[in-house]
Amino acid sequence: MMLGSLAAKNVLGRNRVRTLLTIAAVAVTIFVFILLRTFITAWTAGAEHAAQDRIATRHKVSFVIALPKSYADKIQMNKDSLGVTDVTWCNWFGGKHPQRESDFFATIAVDPQSFLRVYDEIQLSPEERESWVQNRRGAVIGDALAKKFDWKVGDSITLEGTIYPGNWEFEISGIYTAARRSVDRSTLWFHWNYINESVGQRAKDQIGWLVSRVEDASRTAEVSKNIDAMFEDRGEQTTSMSERALQTSFLGMVSAILTTINVISVVILAIMMLILGNTIAMAVRERTNEYGMMRAIGFAPRHIATMVVGEALTIGLLGGLLALVLAYPMIEQGMGRFLEETMGGFFPYFRISGSTVIAALVLATALGALAAAIPAIRAARLNVVDALRRVG
Amino acid sequence: MSEAQSAQCAADEERQGEQGVYRGTKEVKTIVKLKGVSKVYWRGKEKVEVLHDLDLAVPEGAFEALMGPSGSGKTTLLNLIAGLDVPSSGSVRVADAQLETMGEAGRTKWRAENIGFVFQTYNLLPVLTAQQNVELPLLLANLSSSERKRRAQTALKIVGLEDRVRHRPGELSGGQQQRVTIARAIVNDPKIIVADEPTGDLDRHNADEILNLLDKLNREFEKTILMVTHDPAAAERASHRRHLDKGKLQ
Ligand SMILES: Nc1ncnc2c1ncn2[C@@H]1O[C@H](COP(=O)(O)OP(=O)(O)OP(=O)(O)O)[C@@H](O)[C@H]1O
Ligand SMILES: [Mg+2]
Repeated sequence: MMLGSLAAKNVLGRNRVRTLLTIAAVAVTIFVFILLRTFITAWTAGAEHAAQDRIATRHKVSFVIALPKSYADKIQMNKDSLGVTDVTWCNWFGGKHPQRESDFFATIAVDPQSFLRVYDEIQLSPEERESWVQNRRGAVIGDALAKKFDWKVGDSITLEGTIYPGNWEFEISGIYTAARRSVDRSTLWFHWNYINESVGQRAKDQIGWLVSRVEDASRTAEVSKNIDAMFEDRGEQTTSMSERALQTSFLGMVSAILTTINVISVVILAIMMLILGNTIAMAVRERTNEYGMMRAIGFAPRHIATMVVGEALTIGLLGGLLALVLAYPMIEQGMGRFLEETMGGFFPYFRISGSTVIAALVLATALGALAAAIPAIRAARLNVVDALRRVG
Repeated sequence: MSEAQSAQCAADEERQGEQGVYRGTKEVKTIVKLKGVSKVYWRGKEKVEVLHDLDLAVPEGAFEALMGPSGSGKTTLLNLIAGLDVPSSGSVRVADAQLETMGEAGRTKWRAENIGFVFQTYNLLPVLTAQQNVELPLLLANLSSSERKRRAQTALKIVGLEDRVRHRPGELSGGQQQRVTIARAIVNDPKIIVADEPTGDLDRHNADEILNLLDKLNREFEKTILMVTHDPAAAERASHRRHLDKGKLQ
């Protein structure tokens, strides 16, 4: 038996209700801290995982104004001088599940062959690939989306068009997974030709945006500029940006929210310290007489302080561990899955990171110890004679 | 009285005879020497002089009872001797240490080595077993855990609690708790045991057992014992009695 185990015994051996309530309070605050941290990492992860070697090109004025399809051909023709290896184009389709209109998912029209080359992290079996390219009504869907609507390869589905009115029939050619986190797992991709052939003459050969793959990821800024320069004197001017830059600029817009969340997580930790500090202070006051006895029989002030801090460390650590035990199933299994499946665009990967785990445990114990500093100093400085005179 | 007890009494008397008052002519070392000790407390602006120019000499191996009315300064005096406190003026020399000149840290270390404490309210740690409570002072010494355990068990055997080592204070009677305190006081073999009303919370029977134990420690283990008590019967068990009143020893 050493002082450390005496501290642990003090935590667990008496006033169990108060101790358990304090551990629970620490656990709840650390749980919220983990949740907020995970939220922030998930959000910023979008930018971290965004492909660095892809450039999206859109209309200079707005995302919703179309560009002529010929822009893709122009880039394709000048790809060597631009430093681009491939280019593909996309249209936002805005389809909805007719029965479940509120369940949002992205539906995007693409040119399958060039799309699969540019988005090479999309993983499909050779058969699925082949059958999609061959089938004009074919569509590939992410595994999260397939699970959500219980769609299988070979299923015929009908979506309600919003931008392109009417009912649209698709056949599921394949279900993709993503080799990297840079692509959303709940999108439906289908043939651009399918809509292009169905629209009237005026809307023909219009595309929403272009995606180019660059040869040298470090030159995206320069390549973006060159692409925009190419269309400078055309009717529709463009704005190009790497996927990462796009995500980062989005994060810039929500930075106030992220800052707020950061502030809240600090406040939460401060609350934890107050709760823990209060419990320790109460315990120290109750044990004045015991500390007096220990000082009398030869324990030094630092021994007493160590014991008090040890108690706080124990409570902090237990609370932190309990928080993790709660957080893993709730965030990893429940909330995280849900967010990945329903809001994959924002949260492609909503999981507790290793650094969050370490931060939670380190902060719970370190801040616990810090919260105990004042009671520990007070206990260490007790006048032995006065402490012994105090009864109980 | 049982046969064994009366035999013990007879032996006691014999030894008492040998000693006369403080072992007769044999040269006996003075273990506690107080000279001109005063202790003043300030309550706001009011000065309370609890001890006034007090002298005291206690020979090694004595068993002394300190009596006196409540508030007369018995605890204050005992605290000075035990190195828990320092006098306002005067000299306190105990077990070859000049206590009033030592720093707090020095006195702390000195207490651990020289003084065993027995308190009226036992002051055991409720979360520890009897044995762990007794081990407590040994945590300060550089001992292996098996050695600590062995010594704690020996001390508990001396106080007759070898069958209660795993009990917590809450599972022991008052008398048993006080015996654990005594075991804790002797476990690191101090020269002096200070006991402030050790029987104050106990009934006659348990009080007698504790006094027997203190007596045994004094005789068999040659501990110097200083005991504060209100109980004349307890004081009778000591080899010497002193009265404290109005800041002076009578
Ligand atoms: N810290 C203090 N500040 C002021 N006065 C004090 C302090 N400690 C003790 N006293 C006073 O000193 C006097 C002696 O106290 P002490 O505890 O030594 O008496 P005692 O003889 O042990 O009494 P009792 O028999 O009731 O235990 C009392 O009048 C007490 O009020
Ligand atoms: Mg007293």
